[in-house]
Amino acid sequence: MESARPPGDRVRVIRYAAALVTLAATLIVAGFTTPAFVTYDNFLAIVRAASITGIVAVGMSFVTISGNFFALSAGQMAAFLGILFAVATVAGLGVPAAILLTIATAILAGILQGMVINVIGNPIITTIAFGAVFGGLAAFMSGNTLIRVHDDAALAALRFGTARPLGIPTQSWAFFALALLSWFAIRTTRVGRLITLSGASPAAAAASGLPVGLSSVIAMVIFSCGPAIVAIFSVAQFSLAKADQFSGLDIDAIASVLVGGVALRGGQGSPVQAALGALLIAVLQNFMLLRGLTAGERMTIVGLVVVIAVAGFHLAQGRRR
Amino acid sequence: MLRMAQVSKHYGSSVALDAVDFSVERGEVMALLGENGAGKSTLVKVLAGLEQPDSGTIEIEDRAVDLRSRSQARAAGIAYVAQELSILDHMSVAENVFLGDTSFGWLRRPSMLAKKAAPFLDLVGLGSIDPLKSAGSLSIAERQLVEIARLLSRSARIAILDEPTAALSDAETARVENVVMTLAAKGCSVIYVTHRLGEVFRLSQRVTILRNGRNFPAFPTRNIDVDGLIERMLGRRLDQMFPPRRAGEGDVVMSLRGCSTPGVRLPVSLEVRRGEILGFAGQLGSGAGAMIQAIAGARPLTAGTMTLEGCSYAPRSVRKAIRSGVAYCSDDRKRDGIFLGRPILENLSAPALERVTRFGLIDPRRERNLANGVAERFEIDRRRFGSAARTLSGGNQQKVALGKWIGTDPKVLLVEEPTRGVDVGARAEIYRHLRTLADQGLAVIFASSDTQEVHGLADRVATFYHGRLVRLGNTDAISLEDVTRDVTDADQGAAA
Repeated sequence: MESARPPGDRVRVIRYAAALVTLAATLIVAGFTTPAFVTYDNFLAIVRAASITGIVAVGMSFVTISGNFFALSAGQMAAFLGILFAVATVAGLGVPAAILLTIATAILAGILQGMVINVIGNPIITTIAFGAVFGGLAAFMSGNTLIRVHDDAALAALRFGTARPLGIPTQSWAFFALALLSWFAIRTTRVGRLITLSGASPAAAAASGLPVGLSSVIAMVIFSCGPAIVAIFSVAQFSLAKADQFSGLDIDAIASVLVGGVALRGGQGSPVQAALGALLIAVLQNFMLLRGLTAGERMTIVGLVVVIAVAGFHLAQGRRR
Repeated sequence: MLRMAQVSKHYGSSVALDAVDFSVERGEVMALLGENGAGKSTLVKVLAGLEQPDSGTIEIEDRAVDLRSRSQARAAGIAYVAQELSILDHMSVAENVFLGDTSFGWLRRPSMLAKKAAPFLDLVGLGSIDPLKSAGSLSIAERQLVEIARLLSRSARIAILDEPTAALSDAETARVENVVMTLAAKGCSVIYVTHRLGEVFRLSQRVTILRNGRNFPAFPTRNIDVDGLIERMLGRRLDQMFPPRRAGEGDVVMSLRGCSTPGVRLPVSLEVRRGEILGFAGQLGSGAGAMIQAIAGARPLTAGTMTLEGCSYAPRSVRKAIRSGVAYCSDDRKRDGIFLGRPILENLSAPALERVTRFGLIDPRRERNLANGVAERFEIDRRRFGSAARTLSGGNQQKVALGKWIGTDPKVLLVEEPTRGVDVGARAEIYRHLRTLADQGLAVIFASSDTQEVHGLADRVATFYHGRLVRLGNTDAISLEDVTRDVTDADQGAAA
C-alpha cells in the first residue's frame, strides 16, 4: 500500500469534509439554540426523514456517478409503486408477494428508463417524461383517492413500518444498510467500476470495450429500487397510499447528492456522500421547522445551500487545474 | 506586403519558432512547408492573432502591427482559414459568408444577405448554390470554399489557408486551387500551408520551409524540384531514437483482402505478421488513419474481407474487435485514450476488468498484479497508481493509454499517431516499448503523419495518399525520401 496520499485525493477529501463540517456545525448550533432539537422524539423524526430522502439519494448517486446527472422521476415513481403495493396488498396478494411485485416493477421501470436514456441520450428529459407516465399511472390506478389497507392479517404483516429495533426505525436500518451496501458496490464490484468509468469518460470507456449503455441501465435499475423501498415503507407505516404523496422527494434527493459533494459531471464520488447529504438536509429542515420557518422560507434556504455547495465544489475543483 | 523579422515563440522549455524571418509580397502565393511540429501552425497562429510571439516584429505594408487578438489581425487585413472549418450547419450559406461580420447592424434580412453574398460565392465557384440554402448540406470542399468566400467578403489583404485540401478529393482540390489563384490575381497575398507538394508547384511562386522552428530563406518554386523540397524538409535524422528493426519472420496474424472503408477509395490488401511493426504513413485524410479505424471496428468496411489467425474477422464495434484480440489506441488520447479523472491503476485495468474480477467483485490483488505487470514493462511509476491520470505528462499518459492493452493479451495492437503531444525524450521510450511488445509476439500496426517516425520504427511501411495505398514494402528497401514523396506527392512520384 502507498503511504503518501496522491494529490488527486485532495478534492475528494474536501468534498467529504465540507458535508461533515456543515453537518456538525448545524448540529451544534441547533443543539445550543433549540431545546426541542435535542430530544429522542426529534432525533427519531430527523432520522426517519433522512432515511426516506437518503434511500432515494443513495440510489440517485449511481445515476450521477454514471454520468447521467439526475433522474427526475423519483417522486412520481414512489407514488406509483406505493399505490401498486397498496392495491396488491388490498387485493389479497399477501405482503411478501406484493413486495416482490413492487420491486420487480421498479426494476422493469429502471431498465426501460435506462434504455430510453441510451436511445435519446438525455437522462433529464427521459426521466421527466417517465415521471409524468408514473404520475399518471398512480392517479389512474388509485382513482385519485386514498388506498387504505384494512385487512388485519395484512396490517400485522406491515408492522415492520412502525417497528423500532434497538430504538431506531426500520426505515433507518434500511437506509444505513443500503448506504453501506452501495458504498461496497461502487468500490469493489465490477459493476461499480463500470459505472464509475463510464461516467468518468463515456468515450474512453467505449474505447476500452466497456458496455457503456449497460452501465446507464444498471444505474437506473439501482436508482429505481430506491423509490420502491421508500414506497413500501411508507405504505407499511401509514397503512395507506395516495398519488400525491412524494411531491418533494426529487428535489430533496437531488439536494442530498449535490450537498454531499458527488461530482455533477460523473465518474467521481460515492453513495456515502449522498447519504451524508441526506442527513445534512434532514437536520437542516428539522432545525428550520423547530425555529418556526415557513415552508417557503425553508425551501429557499435549502435551495441556497445547494447553490453554495455546488459552486464551492466547482471552485475547489477548478483551482487545482 | 507582410514582413516578419526574428519572430520567436517558446512553449515552456520547447522552442516552436526560433528567430523566423518570413515575408510575402502583394499578389503572391507563398507556400509554407515543413514536417509536423516544425512550427508551421505556430507561425500561422501568430499571424492570425491567436498566439503572441515572445520577440520579433511584424510589419504590414512597412508599418509595424500588433496582433494581439483575432480581431486585431482581422482589422490589419489578415484572414485565416483554419484546418477545422467554422461553418455553422444550421445557418444559411449567406449567413455563413458573413459570419461575425457586424457591419450590417443587427437586422440581417435573409434576402439582403443573399444578394450581398452572391458575388463572393460566384468568385469561389459556388455561383450555382442558393445562398439561402442551409450550410449543413454542403460537401467539405464547398464548406472550404464558403470559408474562402468569407475571407473575400472581408476584403482581406493577406489570406492564410491551413491545409485547405487535406480532406478533399482531386476534383475538389482543383476547385480550391483555382480560387486561390483568383485570390492572388486580385492582389491578395496568400500564405498556403500544405503537405501536398504537387500543390506547391501548381500554385506558389515562392516557398518557405520550416524545420525545427527555424526557416530557410524563401526561394522561388521554379528553382527547386520535389527531391530538393523533401531534402530540405527532413534535414538531420534522429537515428538513435529508433530501436533496431527486425525481419518479420512470424506467422501471418491478420490479412486484409480488397478492403475499403469511407476515406479509403481504392481497395487495400495486406498482411501483418506476428512480431512485426507495420507503419502506415499518410497525412490527414490520406486513408492511413481510416484503414486503422476500419480494422479496429470503429469504421465500417464497405468492401473486402479480413481474417485474424486464419478465421474470418468482421468486427462491428470496437468492443467486438477487442474481444477478438484487436486493441486500438486512437489519436485523441485525452478524449478516449485514458480516463483523465480516474486513478492510473483503474486506467490500466479498465480494458481487462473481467480478468481481475471474481464472482462480480474486483480482486484488488489481481488488479494490482495486472497493473504492476504493465507498469514494469512500460516504466510507469507504481507509486503514482493512486493519482489521477490527468496529473501525468503527455508522454506518461500515452504510456498508460498504450500499456493498458497488455492486460487483454491482444494479438494485434493498432495505434494512431503514437507520439502526438509527446515530447522528444518520451518518444524514444514509446518506440522502444512498441518494439518490445512486437518482440513478445504482438503484431503492431500504427498510422502516423510523421514520415520519419514511420520510416524509423516500422519493419514494413505502407504509404497512403489521397485515400489509396501507394506502396507497401520492407522499410529497408524504401528510403525516407520515398516515403515522404509518397505521402506528399504520390501522383508526381508515380509519373516520374
